[in-house]
Amino acid sequence: MARRGLAAVAGGAAVAAALPWLLDDFLVSLALSCLMYVALATSWAMFSGATRYVSLGTSAFFGLGAYVSAWTVAAAPWPVVIAGGALIAAAFAGLAGLAILHLRGTYFAVLTFGMSELTRHAVTYGEKQYAGTVGRVLTVAPSSRTVYLTVLAIAVAAVGVAVVVRGSRFGLALIGIGADEQRAQTLGVPTRRVKVAGFALSAAFAGAAGAAMAVRWTYIDPTAVFNPFIGLQTVLIAIVGGPLSLTGPLLAALVFSLLAEFLRLQFPYAYLIALGILLIVAVLYLPQGLAGLWQTRARAERPTAAR
Amino acid sequence: MTTPALAARSVVVRFGGLTAVDGVDLDVDDRTVVGIIGPNGAGKTTFFNALSGLVTPASGRLFVGGADLTGKPAHVFARAGIARTFQTPRVFADMTVAESVRFGLEFAGRRRRAERASLAEVPAILDFLGLADSAALPARAVTPARQRLLEIGMALATRPRILLLDEVAAGLTHAEVEKVARLVHRCRDELGLGVVWIEHAVAVLLDAVERVLVLHQGRKLAEGIPSAVARDPLVIEAYLGDGAAEARP
Repeated sequence: MARRGLAAVAGGAAVAAALPWLLDDFLVSLALSCLMYVALATSWAMFSGATRYVSLGTSAFFGLGAYVSAWTVAAAPWPVVIAGGALIAAAFAGLAGLAILHLRGTYFAVLTFGMSELTRHAVTYGEKQYAGTVGRVLTVAPSSRTVYLTVLAIAVAAVGVAVVVRGSRFGLALIGIGADEQRAQTLGVPTRRVKVAGFALSAAFAGAAGAAMAVRWTYIDPTAVFNPFIGLQTVLIAIVGGPLSLTGPLLAALVFSLLAEFLRLQFPYAYLIALGILLIVAVLYLPQGLAGLWQTRARAERPTAAR
Repeated sequence: MTTPALAARSVVVRFGGLTAVDGVDLDVDDRTVVGIIGPNGAGKTTFFNALSGLVTPASGRLFVGGADLTGKPAHVFARAGIARTFQTPRVFADMTVAESVRFGLEFAGRRRRAERASLAEVPAILDFLGLADSAALPARAVTPARQRLLEIGMALATRPRILLLDEVAAGLTHAEVEKVARLVHRCRDELGLGVVWIEHAVAVLLDAVERVLVLHQGRKLAEGIPSAVARDPLVIEAYLGDGAAEARP
């Protein structure tokens, strides 16, 4: 099963890597958006799906990564820019996590949302104060193929790390925290450390994605890169796909990016309405997301293979 | 004189203006079973929360194997050998029985404790509890009585030195309660554990333990061998009342 999944990921990645040479620019940018949400939703689910700490903070990490990229891309080699975005986002998530990860449920969600807004305003203020500007034009940027392959690499890394975490003691600790945090702690899980590490690890991918995507847009400002919609759509994709599964968020990211692009061009308002309805349906009737559907069926077909 | 496996010294726990536990001492040695009784609101569970590191005492000290763990988080207590169950079973609903037990072995139980006869494998723990036939079932799907056993199994998987049992026999039939009492004795005799057992069913508890501590309004009212405590007029007055007089003729 794991081997087949690995083969599927490798195959998918190989196909995705060939796309820039096969498709026109519009379709490649669509694929790029798909990959970005694969990275964001998979890494979100790795932490928030397992622990049930629903974070709306993806926009903060994404935006920080984007600004790290804007500040350094002209001076530093490309891999360093991406790594810088990941590291700064992870460090920020680690610090924020120390402050807010003792709160659960709605409080945590609201605080992570507030954190995104705070970050956006802090960056806006800092830019005005020290750079005398709010937006930034990125004149030096790698080719769009490089950006595409970078985002692909980040998405593959996010899936790979999610697979490794799932099979590890760290992943088990995250699941235990989601099931009953206090119980997990009395069984020996250093809950605070695990939560902060998981939150930071998950943020690293959002930071890396932000760093890569920033150059793609050539002009960035805080409103664009700290757009709360990025965080909300990430949560939505992961929840509709199935926050506890690996394939769910992955496939949902593909479907949603395509759907989003299509609907946004054709019916911009219907798109948001459709998203809202989907989220409500998923939360009410599919607590395990779309992945729950095929998992239930797989289990019904093999009743003896009860894990 | 050896150091007790677990020692609580003048433990005080406050919630706002309410003092839930007020200066309680307790020593627990290996291979002993100590009971804690007291009316509702006497502070029994709060005392357990302090003993397992879930709440930090306002004052007083907690020693595990002689080491001062006061103020340390719960996982440090678990690693030091304090395991506990909860009044309402808190099993991992979506994990199987076997996975739930493995959880403890993966964390607090990971460190080898070769000097103690602890159970180090999932099947051994399930056999010990008679849960082997439920191994592959999701924890939420087994009966409440079995969930209580599973709670004990998860605690044993941390390979503890001290086992804190919070009303593990509540709501069970008489036959099931007897089984739990036998299980507690096997934890003591076969695994060498020190067991602290809170129970509402006073009669069962007094029969099963070597020493009993009576809590009343957060304070220690009496402590001693069950027969003496059951005759203590203070205890009868404060807690046992008519019901207990019937239970222990």
